[in-house]
Amino acid sequence: MQKLLELLKDGNSRTLEILADELGTTTDDVTRQMEYLERIGVIRRVLQPFENKGCGTCSSCSGCSKNAAACKGCIPQNAALNMGEMWEVV
Amino acid sequence: MSVATIALLGQPNSGKSTMFNALTGLHQHVGNWPGKTVEKKEGSFAYKGTTYDVADLPGSYSMSANSDEEVITRDFIASGNADVVCILADSSQLERSLFMLADYAGIDAPCFLVLNMEDVAREQGKTINAAALEKKLSIPVMLFSATDKKAYDKFYQTLERALKNKSHIDVSALEEEYEKLEGYNEIKEQLNDGVMEGYTPMWLTVKYLENDKVVSAKLKSELPADKVAVLESLKGDNNGAIATGECKFKWIDELVDGVVKGKKQSVKLGRLDRIYTHRFWGKPAVVLTVVLGLLASFIPALPIMAVASVFDILKSYLNGVLEAAGCSPFLIGLVCDVLIQSMSYVVKMLGFVFGVTLVFGLLEEVGVMARISYVFDNTMGKLGLQGKSVMPFLVSFGCTMGGAAGARVIDNWGQKVLTIALAWAVPCGAAWATIPMLSTIFFGAGAPVVIVVVLLAMILHMWITAKIFGAKLVNKEDRCGMIMELPPYHKPKWKALFRYVFGRTKDTFFRVVKVVLLVCLIFWLLSYGSGVNDTSILYKVGTAIEPVTKFVGLPWQLFIAFIAASVGKEGAIGVISALYTGGSYGEGFAQAMSGAARAANLGDILLANVSRPEALAFIFAITFNMPCVVALAATYQEIHSVKWTAKIAIYYTVVSLLFACIAYHIGLLIW
Repeated sequence: MQKLLELLKDGNSRTLEILADELGTTTDDVTRQMEYLERIGVIRRVLQPFENKGCGTCSSCSGCSKNAAACKGCIPQNAALNMGEMWEVV
Repeated sequence: MSVATIALLGQPNSGKSTMFNALTGLHQHVGNWPGKTVEKKEGSFAYKGTTYDVADLPGSYSMSANSDEEVITRDFIASGNADVVCILADSSQLERSLFMLADYAGIDAPCFLVLNMEDVAREQGKTINAAALEKKLSIPVMLFSATDKKAYDKFYQTLERALKNKSHIDVSALEEEYEKLEGYNEIKEQLNDGVMEGYTPMWLTVKYLENDKVVSAKLKSELPADKVAVLESLKGDNNGAIATGECKFKWIDELVDGVVKGKKQSVKLGRLDRIYTHRFWGKPAVVLTVVLGLLASFIPALPIMAVASVFDILKSYLNGVLEAAGCSPFLIGLVCDVLIQSMSYVVKMLGFVFGVTLVFGLLEEVGVMARISYVFDNTMGKLGLQGKSVMPFLVSFGCTMGGAAGARVIDNWGQKVLTIALAWAVPCGAAWATIPMLSTIFFGAGAPVVIVVVLLAMILHMWITAKIFGAKLVNKEDRCGMIMELPPYHKPKWKALFRYVFGRTKDTFFRVVKVVLLVCLIFWLLSYGSGVNDTSILYKVGTAIEPVTKFVGLPWQLFIAFIAASVGKEGAIGVISALYTGGSYGEGFAQAMSGAARAANLGDILLANVSRPEALAFIFAITFNMPCVVALAATYQEIHSVKWTAKIAIYYTVVSLLFACIAYHIGLLIW
């Protein structure tokens, strides 16, 4: 896990597969290590702007469940749903 | 009749609830743990003359003190409430789910292990040798499927066995790992049996090394001061939890080794992913994908542009009708030049909104966009940015405001400012509507080339901007790596995609109609002289500044359109619509320049009045001008600095004119 953390700190981005490859292990192993690191607060998942707060966060917005066009600052509903997940070192 | 209490312990999704319900049926009640909002579920069942009380402990990841759930779970077990603890693990992913067992090892309460979801593991082609695992652990281990009613007989037998033997996990192999840790033996020496009831010194030492809040506090209050001082001096850095975690995982791997047979998931990248994630070929592949995507978006756009020419026919027809009916020229102009002309532009723009949204929505649906973001993610580092800046950029392709708001995920202020500053360079949805449309009018089949050049200029712009602002805003050391889990490729859900695309197009339509109509009306009125164009104020101002604007390649009409574009890109279309085709000036201009009485087709008028280098200059000017007034406000709202907001705005205005100037002079060389 120390090695995993070192890779994370070198400033490059990697996919799970690439990490597994560089660490000589499986993606399952990387996943469980990341789960642990996340639990102990060393890394965290990056909340995307559209998650939980896609709407209603800008001051001009009164919530757009009914009228998505009301607020230009809000990220449109159903946008960017399939973009994968990201983690970063805390 | 004897009574025994069993506690169910497992990570979320280990099938614990299913098992609890199957065991207790209707004999259960739900409450809260004292003083906590965590749900407490208890129930009971009888088997062979014994009543078993079942406590369904809150689902938690481990036995650490990171959450209320974990503390409750741990306290319940350590206080001796349970005669036996049933630990559940997911058979289909033992390496991961045995972590609970590894973290439990060292707690005094007797336990046994249930490898749940054996059916899932079997489907994956795995066979698990429970007996071998039982031998290694020296506690009862059973394969189980909580959903299988017939499996419960076996469960009752295992339960009885565990109760009878008071079985404890053999921790010797695990402790061997721990003993290699710095400070482990020394700390353990300080702890006597029973220093904290229910936990072995091994377990306490590990938790102490992990900096477990509850254990640390408790030990400090229980132990004499001199021992506490020794403990504190022995504890190393903050990496304790990582080191102990490694020990646990290693122990789990050894447990599983030889016990699980079958398909082991290997590191496998799809052919496409091997290209996208390639260190060298990734970037060209991604750029090619984006360019092809943009070209593809012209395909659905062009038919819609053709449809828009209906408005031109409508315009000349209505013109005739209204003139015949004896309407005033003012009214005719208002209807034909403002209303219909604007609508013609709007519909043409919509074609591109539709095309671009469809193509990029599709790329996202199938999973390609995530790969694109991954590749750019790595590039962010070279710009001094966090990997997560890539999302605000991608959002900015839709709307710069969204991008600015999205930059909120970046905690470092300097990096946030830089991210927003760069997000401004990303052409937004309005730009994607106006620019391809104008390009198509001016350059016809050459439009895609113009778009590609604009994109390349965007990359150059972002690079230069990052160099200029980056030095003041970010340190290279602030950069950390990212991990991305790329979604698997899958077939698009066409229905949802089209609903999204039509929704976006509709929203854009209403917004654009408002802006274009309003701007067009204002400028049409401003330029509406009393028959002689020279008298309009706009004309006077325009011709006065033209010597200057001509230098950057913009005739005064286009320069005013450029100014309007900083209010909103669509605004530029309103100005063009008013100044070139509507109003007396446009009319006079058109007549003077082309000799035509009144060109029916807007494109023709533009072509007759604007040279190609000028058009190119204009396209660059409005692409890289500040996105819109609202984006400016959003930027201030996010970065809370008037100075930096103003800096960015002025910088963009200057640079866009610079780009226009360069484009114009290059254009002069070409044409």
